Amino acid sequence: MATGEAIFNSNCAICHGNDGRGARGPSLRGPLRNGNQESDIEAVIRNGLTGTAMPKFRFEDDELQSVVMYIQSWGRGAAPRTKPEGDPVAGKRVYGSQGCAHCHEVGNEGGTLGPSLTRIGAARSYEHMKTSIVDPSADIPDDYRTIRIVTRGGSQYRGVWVNEDSFTIQIRLPDESYASFDKQAIKEEVREPKSMMPAYHLSEMDLKDLLAYLSSLVGEGNQTSEAQRERR
Amino acid sequence: MRKIACLGAFACALGVPAAQVTYDRLLHAEQDPGNWLTYWGDYHATRFRNLAQINDRNVHQLRLEWLFQTGGSGAFETVPLVVNGVMYFTTPNTAVEAVDARSGRSLWHYQYRIPKDAKYCCGTLNRGLAILGHKLYFLTPDTRLLAIDTRNGAVLWNVEVASAEGGAYGGTEAPLVVKDKVVLGTAAGDYGIRGFLDAYDAETGKRVWRVWTIPAPGEPGNDTWGGDSWKHGGGATWLTGTYDPELNTVYWPTGNPAPDLYGSIRPGDNLYSDSILALDADTGKLKWYFQFTPHDMWDYDATETPMLLDLPWRGKPRKLLVHADRNGFYYVLDRVTGEFLMAKPFAKVTWAKGIDAKGRPILGPDLSPTSKGTLVCPQCAGATNWMAPSYNPHTRLYYFNVREGCDIFFAKPPVYKEGTSYWSTSIRAQETEHQAGRVTAMDPLTGETKWKFPLYSPPWAGTLATAGNLVFAGDEDGYLMALQADTGKLLWRVNTGNRLVTSPITYEVEGKQYISMPSGGVVLTFGLP
Repeated sequence: MATGEAIFNSNCAICHGNDGRGARGPSLRGPLRNGNQESDIEAVIRNGLTGTAMPKFRFEDDELQSVVMYIQSWGRGAAPRTKPEGDPVAGKRVYGSQGCAHCHEVGNEGGTLGPSLTRIGAARSYEHMKTSIVDPSADIPDDYRTIRIVTRGGSQYRGVWVNEDSFTIQIRLPDESYASFDKQAIKEEVREPKSMMPAYHLSEMDLKDLLAYLSSLVGEGNQTSEAQRERR
Repeated sequence: MRKIACLGAFACALGVPAAQVTYDRLLHAEQDPGNWLTYWGDYHATRFRNLAQINDRNVHQLRLEWLFQTGGSGAFETVPLVVNGVMYFTTPNTAVEAVDARSGRSLWHYQYRIPKDAKYCCGTLNRGLAILGHKLYFLTPDTRLLAIDTRNGAVLWNVEVASAEGGAYGGTEAPLVVKDKVVLGTAAGDYGIRGFLDAYDAETGKRVWRVWTIPAPGEPGNDTWGGDSWKHGGGATWLTGTYDPELNTVYWPTGNPAPDLYGSIRPGDNLYSDSILALDADTGKLKWYFQFTPHDMWDYDATETPMLLDLPWRGKPRKLLVHADRNGFYYVLDRVTGEFLMAKPFAKVTWAKGIDAKGRPILGPDLSPTSKGTLVCPQCAGATNWMAPSYNPHTRLYYFNVREGCDIFFAKPPVYKEGTSYWSTSIRAQETEHQAGRVTAMDPLTGETKWKFPLYSPPWAGTLATAGNLVFAGDEDGYLMALQADTGKLLWRVNTGNRLVTSPITYEVEGKQYISMPSGGVVLTFGLP
């Protein structure tokens, strides 16, 4: 078990939390979305989950077995995930009235400046989604870091960091177009610790309803965003 | 139609068939800058070429001459050889190619097929070939040594290297021809092998000597391993060494002890892991050794270039061995005696506070990896690695790629199982740190930095120095670039479209200088209009 725990802590805990109770990634306690059998968990670890942030891991067979045993040691019976208390139908209305679709997609509907929410209910823990609404800057995904650029010519740009190398930077602007800069042409470049997404101060009921709606979004993943990640 | 055999002035003048590389030519490779005859270019591994047609005034005009698609993919780590207008290289998918170095047109192609039941550790990556006479020497991933006819790609012989030892050794490096022998070692330090270095008769393939890098009971150094830990002690020899003909000494670096991050299983200094071995070229007898990271717990292989420089040290001419180590310190040794002369950090280092007068690290607070994770600098992949440095005798500067950053090291108790990985490597970068890199120009006698060129990501490519006051370097984002050697000013760059994981070369054919660089599955070659 010690080996499984060590492997989990160094590879998995960063997303699933130190005790598997979920962080950026979903909780692994209680029933698992992709199957509760050891073979199911092994398959997810070995192959990753297309369209999600869950990558493939290459472990030796005995290492894989030990980390699966560790995950299974938590038991599958109870479901200590936080259950959404709100009403998903009302939550969908909140989603619409707050303008979330300007920047987020569900399926193929909506904007692309922010992350797709098509399967957000499966990809994120309840607590993480809640924080992402009330304090979006608390944990900004790597693909959605905010950057502000002032060129030597005096033009200003603020957008989402897309790609970068020793000589160039590419960003996505709020109008969903891309801009590319030669670093030599940049006068000032500020990596903002603040998300492009504003913090939402909703009534408790609206927040619960919205979270219930988001928790219900467990569709197929967005392959495009995954492809972007791999391209880097 | 041009005859390939007469592409090179050397071959035409002497009327000998192409690719006739004598030991004398290898000895004088530094005076033959139009050809690239060994993995490092020459025995000293300065990677300096006295070619100046491409120089700091015209390099901005450099343009693509040809590219060769191997069809392979993965890590393209080869360093091509160029002999009399013919380029030879290994591919990421175990082929050997001979192409016209002026046009990139294929002359012959040899495909090695790994037997289905072969056990080997490290994928199919390969760093290149050695040449002597009409033979190219190719160490295959499953550790066979092949002699291939330079004229048609036919296999002349194929001998076993490590398969008789069991486990999962792997072949990745370019062999080194020394006189009439082919010297080579293996990868798989993290598979619990016991490392060795071999020499084979270049004519017949018969093994002449073998030196184990991990001493057995009764041999000096075995007492630096607790219990039976020496049996799976690692100490792989996966990077090509260098050679001093006057001293008849081969210098070969060794890799980490195994298991890499879990030190308590192997108490002691763990000789001769993370060391440079100085060996008699005829017998393999150990003349001296120097260990950079005794009882390593962070995977700091010493498999970085053992460059040989003849420079005045404190006013007196001295034969030096200079080495920027993965552990973050730059070292100068006397290569006649192995005497430690100096060390200086070139990146952020926390595993040691410094190096004492004898060359031994001064350790600070305990930074052993634990199950909860321990933050240590440099990162596990090192402050530099096997990518080649270079030295320009005109600027008197040493150019190398630096990887800046730290990792969280996790330890887990390993269990040895033959043929599988025997490491306790679990590492993670800090989320709050952006790991970056740079090209550094340094005075090799003092360790003082002369200039730095920043790179966005930690690089895996090496450098090449030329008499055109240029340093060519590569980065992780695919850029091949030319920097002014004395100032570090960027003069030319091109995005090759894939991460660069080897080092550029230069050569000359019929009076025209070329720069060549493998990237992805492609060899790209550049020249002036």
